[in-house]
Amino acid sequence: MTAALVVGLLVAGGVYLVLQPGLIRVTLGFVLIGHALNSLLVAAGGMGFRAVSFIGTSHPDDAADPLPQAFALTAIVITFGVTVYLFGLARAGADDAPDEESES
Amino acid sequence: MILAVVLLALVVTAVAAPAIASRLGRNAGYPLAVAFLLIGALLATRAPDVLDGGTVSLNWEWMPSIGVSFHLHLDGLSLLFASLVLGVGALILAYCPRYLGTSEQHQRLYMLLTLFAMSMLGLVLARDLVLLFVFWELTTLASFLLIGGAGRTAVQPAARALVVTAGGGLALLAAAVLLSISAGTTNMSVIMADPSVVIESPLAPAIAVLLIIAAITKSAQLPFHFWLPDAMVAITPVSAYLHAATLVKGGIYLLMRFSPTFAHMTMWTVVLMVIGLTTMIVGAAFALKQHDLKSLLAYSTVSQLGFIIALIGVGTPGALAAAALHTFAHAMFKATLFMLAGIIDREAGSRDIRELGGLRRVMPVTATLTGLAATSMAGIPPFIGFISKEEAYSALLETPGPAWTGWLAALATVAGAGLTFAYGFRIFYGAFAGPTTQRKLYEPSMTFLLPAAIPAALGLVLGLTVGVLDPLISRTVEDTMLTESHAKLSLWHGFGSPLVLSALTIITGMALFFGRYPVDRALHRHRVPLTGADAFNHTVSGSIQLGSWIGLPARSHAIGAHIAWPLAALLVLGATGIAMRPDVAEPPLSTTRPHDWAVVALLAIAILALCLTTTRITAIVLLGAVGFLVGFWFLLAGAPDLALTQLLVEILTVVVAVLVLRRLPPTFRRIRRPRAILTAAIAVAAGTVAAAATFLLAGRRDRSAAADYLIHNAKKDSGGSNVVNTVLVDFRGLDTLGEVTVLAIAGIGLMALLRGTAEPNILPADSATAPPDRLGNMVIPRFAARVLVPMTVAISAYLLFRGHYEPGGGFIAALVAGVAVAVLQLPHGLDHPPRLRAPYLIYGGLALAVLTGIGGLADGSFLRPLHGHLGIGGAEISMTSSLSFDLGVFLIVLGMAVSAFDRLGRGTTGELPAREPELARNGQGGS
Repeated sequence: MTAALVVGLLVAGGVYLVLQPGLIRVTLGFVLIGHALNSLLVAAGGMGFRAVSFIGTSHPDDAADPLPQAFALTAIVITFGVTVYLFGLARAGADDAPDEESES
Repeated sequence: MILAVVLLALVVTAVAAPAIASRLGRNAGYPLAVAFLLIGALLATRAPDVLDGGTVSLNWEWMPSIGVSFHLHLDGLSLLFASLVLGVGALILAYCPRYLGTSEQHQRLYMLLTLFAMSMLGLVLARDLVLLFVFWELTTLASFLLIGGAGRTAVQPAARALVVTAGGGLALLAAAVLLSISAGTTNMSVIMADPSVVIESPLAPAIAVLLIIAAITKSAQLPFHFWLPDAMVAITPVSAYLHAATLVKGGIYLLMRFSPTFAHMTMWTVVLMVIGLTTMIVGAAFALKQHDLKSLLAYSTVSQLGFIIALIGVGTPGALAAAALHTFAHAMFKATLFMLAGIIDREAGSRDIRELGGLRRVMPVTATLTGLAATSMAGIPPFIGFISKEEAYSALLETPGPAWTGWLAALATVAGAGLTFAYGFRIFYGAFAGPTTQRKLYEPSMTFLLPAAIPAALGLVLGLTVGVLDPLISRTVEDTMLTESHAKLSLWHGFGSPLVLSALTIITGMALFFGRYPVDRALHRHRVPLTGADAFNHTVSGSIQLGSWIGLPARSHAIGAHIAWPLAALLVLGATGIAMRPDVAEPPLSTTRPHDWAVVALLAIAILALCLTTTRITAIVLLGAVGFLVGFWFLLAGAPDLALTQLLVEILTVVVAVLVLRRLPPTFRRIRRPRAILTAAIAVAAGTVAAAATFLLAGRRDRSAAADYLIHNAKKDSGGSNVVNTVLVDFRGLDTLGEVTVLAIAGIGLMALLRGTAEPNILPADSATAPPDRLGNMVIPRFAARVLVPMTVAISAYLLFRGHYEPGGGFIAALVAGVAVAVLQLPHGLDHPPRLRAPYLIYGGLALAVLTGIGGLADGSFLRPLHGHLGIGGAEISMTSSLSFDLGVFLIVLGMAVSAFDRLGRGTTGELPAREPELARNGQGGS
């Protein structure tokens, strides 16, 4: 239930920001959507299993699913890469400079 | 085999043509004509066989999985058309050298003409539907290229010809597909052998209509006729060869080929006769209106092809014999007339019959040849054109069905033929009779005239000895109708209805000719309200407008406009899925813990604030807050590696964002109220759907088998105890390699994106946001960096090495090192390039990761980790190649972070000298 709320809140905020004018807000929205999807990946492993999946640290029966975590880990870093690229685009002049009225 | 040799020989000739043409110039036509004759002679060696009822066939496997083969077949019908392709082809190639200029290059023309001949020959030999379609389209393309070769004015006509005939080609493809569905094969021999299979299938009417569309576009019948007069912009040899003798006969061939299957279908007969006869009369009337010789001949071709198509529609053996004979006769006289029109054009400098006159005195031979061809066209004895018309009349009178239909068709033909007679005489009279306006003209050389003289003379000789064509025509009809046929062609049929009709034709024609002034006035009084070319252009511009209208929602620079549509689709999809109340299982364990709610509440507040804030710096702080909360959420979910990664990424994101914001205004643009409400509504809907989908679909099962395997076997298989890290570097290394490659592309992309961008100097130098004395401000951070950076680097190295066992690994270590770079970079002034060079890091990392992967090949597969033990001084250290792979990951991620600081901090490379003074000025402005 809480995992669903986390995903829902992040998606709502992300979608709102992505639909606004100006590339900076769009980038912020994109980051939120990235968070949402990473949380979704983790939730897909099952939120009932929450012990860390280090061998020898916790009982194997409680350990969280490591596979979605590995997916999410690389996804976080890729999101970072895309975020930086979007910031780069904003920096290169695609953002709303005051004298330039973008269509909406 | 011989059929493949013939086609191959033409391909070889086409390949050699440019070389010959660059050596011999325009005279290259002569050797090429000889080549055509030789190839024709080769084919003719099999003609006696074919005429005796044998066939020559070749069947090579092509696409066995779908039963399509390279199947060629020579029968009487193919032989008739093949003789036109190669015979007229040789004449045209022999005509080209004197027609063409000496100053231009002719490689392209000669090559395309030869390639066209090859395609056309392939078309009439093909015995497989797919092969037929391929050759059909090749002829269309060759025609397009040959028309378009005439220069700028030819662009539009060439495009129109292509669109109309290629559209017909699509109809042919559709017909081929339906035929192969209903008959179960693409082999035309099998389809022909038992017409009942196709004719009884429910698809039969559709196939017939599609075949007719394909044929009437190719053969320029109403309402698609307009491309042919347009195509007269092409040079005269092309018009004579493609647009009179062969290409436009493709439709005729197709209809004759499929006659055995469809000839007994009433719809086939009615449609073909109506279209054919209408086109014959309308085309002839248009021809009579023309003053330009080539336009006149083009409309005449349209009209004559209509005549032949009407005969095919009749569908009796006699009608098919007449159609075959007229196809042959038409090729003779029309090719002659085109060649002569080209000669007149070259000699007299005009093709307009109003400007020509009395040429018989200066060009008597040309005049005689024109007279021969025009007389044959007009259907006057003893020319072959007379015989084919006689045959046609007697066939039309025997049209199946009520007797009046035959008479109606015959009388319509009389009208069309009368008009033909009239314009035939008009050509001759307009150009050669009357007072001589140009007295200084000379007869062209015999080499120029000879290629036109041969078919002109043949029209007369074959008229007198028409019996020699009996075997060919009989075979053609037998192959077309699959019935016995014994054509008995003769010049004199005795007195009967056909002769009466012929006489009537000549009387009508004479009347139209002698009354030409009132006829002209009547014809020119009525303007055509809409020409075919206009209709075509309207259709084209209409479809462009339609496309532009459809694309309207996407024509915006606003990102929202592009995202809204897929988002709306996703929302509808998600909402539908939830509304269908999926049957879901209960989760095996309770998924909610009490302290989760604290994260949810804080997250809600932070996200709401992030959406509402109007200043950029607040937004960045709130973004960091959201990121930390998500990191904390991961920690709660039992994913310390994720949490660590998330926190580090958040730090770096904030650093990068600050670097960018430095150069942007402090506040966002205001969001107008209606927009805010609308987008908020969409956002809430999206969030609801996402939450519901997550709630219903995620985590409602026991832990996956893959997870169980990894948790129980990771240590044994890989030696690592951090299962997530072993998944990254051992179990799913290829995934990781792909992902770090994406990062590498992002880093390199960023380097390229901001290379040499102008500093967007938005802030005024004296703005409140301009940095105060930078140097003085930076003493403490600089000092701190001296301590922090070595520590951070040490931590990073430690995290990298222990990653296999404890939280850490290449991703996390690189992010920590990235923080070190940021700490080092910030106080140094962002205008200095970092000491680390991003491209080296990225390329080095990629190379290391890939090399490690290749090393895995030693153990049988790419990226398989190698394990080993190293004994140093008694201590046993276990080593794995995963570490070097992780080091590659580390370098790439670090490289990307460095490129971000480098480019976003400075926005340019130091390599551009023009940038330096501006940077200096900025610095001064600040101090």
